[in-house]
Amino acid sequence: MTSPVIEARNIVKSFGGVRAVDDVSVSVMPGEIHAVIGENGAGKSTLMRILAGVETPDSGSVRIDGKEIENSAKASIDAGISLVHQELSLIPEMTVAENIMLGAFPTNGGWTKTKEMKKIAADTLKEIGVEVDLDERISRLSVALRQFVEIARAVARKPKVLILDEPTATLTPAETDYLLSMLQRLASQGLAIIYISHRIPEVFKICNKVTILRDGKLVTNDSIGDLTPDKVIDQMVGRELHLDLTQRRPARELGELVLSAKGIKAPKVNGIDLEVSKGQIVGLGGLVGAGRTELLRAIIGADPRSAGRVTITSNGKKRVITGYLSAIKAGVAYVPEERRTDGLALTMTVAENIFLPNRKEISPTGVMPKGKISAFAKVLSEKVNLRPPEVTREAGQYSGGNQQKIVIAKWLGRKPSFIVLDEPTRGVDVGAKAEIHKLVKELADNGAAVLVISSDLPELLELSDLIHVVRDGKIAGTLTGAEATEKSVMSLAAGEKLVGA
Amino acid sequence: MTNQTVIKVGSTATGFWGKSRTLLARRTEGRAVVLFAIIATFVTVSQPLVFTAYQVTLGRIALIGLVALGLTAVILMGELDLSVASTLAVSGVIAVTVANQTNMAIGVLAALAAGVVVSLINAFFVAIVGINSFIATLGMLFALRGMAFVIADEAPVKLQNTDLGIAFGQPLLGPLTPRIMIFFLIFIAIQIFVSRVKAGREFLAVGGNRQAAYDAGIPVKRRIFTGFIISGVVASIAGIINAVERTSADPTSGSTVLLASFAAAIIGGNYLKGGKGSIIGTLIGAASLGMLQVALTISGVQIPIQEIFIGGILLIAVITDPSSLRAVWGSLSTTFQGIKNSLAK
Repeated sequence: MTSPVIEARNIVKSFGGVRAVDDVSVSVMPGEIHAVIGENGAGKSTLMRILAGVETPDSGSVRIDGKEIENSAKASIDAGISLVHQELSLIPEMTVAENIMLGAFPTNGGWTKTKEMKKIAADTLKEIGVEVDLDERISRLSVALRQFVEIARAVARKPKVLILDEPTATLTPAETDYLLSMLQRLASQGLAIIYISHRIPEVFKICNKVTILRDGKLVTNDSIGDLTPDKVIDQMVGRELHLDLTQRRPARELGELVLSAKGIKAPKVNGIDLEVSKGQIVGLGGLVGAGRTELLRAIIGADPRSAGRVTITSNGKKRVITGYLSAIKAGVAYVPEERRTDGLALTMTVAENIFLPNRKEISPTGVMPKGKISAFAKVLSEKVNLRPPEVTREAGQYSGGNQQKIVIAKWLGRKPSFIVLDEPTRGVDVGAKAEIHKLVKELADNGAAVLVISSDLPELLELSDLIHVVRDGKIAGTLTGAEATEKSVMSLAAGEKLVGA
Repeated sequence: MTNQTVIKVGSTATGFWGKSRTLLARRTEGRAVVLFAIIATFVTVSQPLVFTAYQVTLGRIALIGLVALGLTAVILMGELDLSVASTLAVSGVIAVTVANQTNMAIGVLAALAAGVVVSLINAFFVAIVGINSFIATLGMLFALRGMAFVIADEAPVKLQNTDLGIAFGQPLLGPLTPRIMIFFLIFIAIQIFVSRVKAGREFLAVGGNRQAAYDAGIPVKRRIFTGFIISGVVASIAGIINAVERTSADPTSGSTVLLASFAAAIIGGNYLKGGKGSIIGTLIGAASLGMLQVALTISGVQIPIQEIFIGGILLIAVITDPSSLRAVWGSLSTTFQGIKNSLAK
C-alpha cells in the first residue's frame, strides 16, 4: 500500500466574501495522473496556487510525504512541488537555457557556470523529448514551444509533484498528443501529476483519477473507470437551480440583418462567420481562452484582423467596418470585459464619462456646458437605474454593478444599432445583474442587434436567442431554443463530442 | 511509448551568413549598430577629423557614456534613476571639499560613500516602500542638487591640488587619458557582471517579468538594490573625474548628463520598461552620440542645433524598433484592406 505524495486537507480560501475554495481535500499517489476539472471560476486555479505556496489559504494544510509544509513558494519548491502556470512565466529576452534554470543557475562563488547550466537544460529537454536551440531567446519561440520550455523548467527541478494548469490551451492537436504521451512517460517514472483541463477527452485519455470542483466545492473524487464523459459534464454544471424559462425571450421573427461578418481571422480566431439581426440577441459561449473576446474585438475593428469582411447596416445604410472608429460611426456600442480599465475613466465623474462618447450630440461646437452635460447624464443614468443617480460623483466610487450601468448608459445616448457586451455581469451582485439583463433585453426589444459573451451559463441561456459555442477559434456548434441547455453548451465548449475524432 | 518522437525546432540557419543573421536577430543591439554605421559613414565623409583626433572623440564618448553605463543596470530591471546627474554634482563637490581639507584619496572615498548612500535611499524607496522609481528618484534629483549648492556654498569649489588635476587630463597610457581608461574599465566590469555573474544575469529576469522572477526564487529586492548601487557609484565616479579634470567642482555640473545618458541607453536598444537591452548597446549608443557631437562641433554647428540633431536621432532609434514597425504595418494593412473592400463593393 503506497501512501500519497501530496495531500491537501480541508483547504478553504475566500476572496472578499466569496468562497473560491470551500473545504476541499485532494490526495495524489506517486505515478498517478490526477485530473482537476470544473467550470470557469470553479476554484481550480486557486487550489493549485495554494498547493504551490503562491496563495495563502484561510485554513487547511498541505502535506508532502505525510509531512505538513509551510505555506510559501520556496517551501513548496523545496518540498518538490512544481507548478506550470497558465499564464506563461518565462523571461522573453533570456535564452532557453537561462529560462529553464531561472532562479537556480549553477554557480561557483557568484559566477555562473554557463556550461553546466546548458548541460542540465539540455538533459532536461532530452528527458521530455524536445529539441530547442539552448541559446535561442524565448521571444523568438512559438507559443507552443514556450509551453514546453515552461514544462522543462518544472521538470528540471526534479519535482515529486508536477502541477499543470491547462497546458494544452495553446497547443495544436499534434502538440497536445505529444504532451500527453510525455506526461504518461513521466508518470510511469513515478512522478505524481495534477492535470487541470477543461478538455474532457484529454482527461479520459491520460488520467487515473478525477476531482471535480463546482463553485469552490468538491463534488466528485473518483477513479476514471467509474466515470463517463457524460457524467463528468453533469457533475461540472449540475446546479440545483433550474433555469427559469419564463425569463427567456420568446421566439420572434428575425428583423433585417445588422451585422454580417464573414471569414474573420485574427490571432486566436480561425475563420468565423457571424450574423446578428435587428432585435436579436446572439450569445457567444465557450471556455476562457477559446477566442471569443478576440473574435468580438476583431469584428468591431478594435484589434486588427488578418482576414474577413464585416458590414453593419443601420438606418438603411450599409457600412464596411475597417477600424474601431468606423464601427462607432456605424452605431456600435462596445461594453468591454475590463470595465475598470477599458470601459470607464474611474477618476472622472459619471457625467463626464457619459459625455465622452456623446460629445457631438451634447456640444456640436466643442464647448462643454456643464449644466447640459449633467442634464443629459441624469436622464441616461435614471434610465439604467444608477443608484444613487448622482452624476457629479466619481465613477470609481460606485460598485461594480453600478459601474457597468454607467458604461451601458454612456452608449445609450447614441442610440446604438449594434451592441457588443463582453462578460457584462462579471463581479456584479445579483440585483444589479438582473437589472442589467433587463436592460439588455429592452435594448433588443427596441430594435438593437446584440452580441453578448458570457461564461455564466444561466445568463447566456437566459439572454440569447441563439448561442454560438466557440472552441479553438472556431464555432463548434450553434444552439437555439430547447436544445440550448447548460449541458449542451458545456459539451460543445469542452469538446466532449470529439472523443476519438 | 513514443519515446522517439522528438519535436525539433530552433535555428536551422547554417553557414557564416546564416549564423550571423541568427546572431543579429537574437541581439538587441542591431538597430544601434546600424545607426552607428550610418553616423560613422556620414562622419568619415564629411568630417574625417573626428577619427584623426580620436583622442578628443574618445574623451567625448567617455563623458557621455560613463553615467549611461551605470544607468543601464537600473534600466534593465525596468526602473529609472533620474538622480544620476545630481549624484554626479554632489559627489564632485564632496570630493573636492574633502580633498582640500585632507587629501585626494579621502576625498574620493567620501564621494563614493555619498554615491552609495544615495543609491541605498533610492533603492529603499523603490524596493521596500514601493514608490515608482520615476517619482522616488525625481525627489532625489531635486534634493541632491540643492545639497550640492549648500555644500559648495553656492559657488564652484576650486581643487587646491591643481597639479593632480592637470596630470589627470594628460594621456596616461599611449593616447588614453585616465578618464577614457576608467570608462572602458567600468564598461568591462559591468558587462562581465551582467553576463557572467549570477546576480547580474538575473537583472534581465527582474525587468522582463518580475512576478516570474520572484516565483522562480530570485531575490528581486536585493537585485534592485544592487542595480541602484551600480548606477549611483558610477555617477559618483563620473562626478569625481569631472571635478578633478577641471580642478573645480561646480554644483551646477552635469545638467545635460541626465538626458544624454538616457539618450545613449535608448539609442543602444534598451527598453525603459526593462527586460530588454544590454550594456554593449549603451556603449554603442554613447559612441554614436559622441561621434556625432564631435563632428557637429568641428563643423561649427551650435550646441542648440546639435541638440535638435540628437532629438531626431533618438526618435529615429525608437520608431525603427521592429515591434513598433510591426504595429504600424498592422494598422496600415487593416486600413488598406478596408479601402480595398469598399472599392470592391
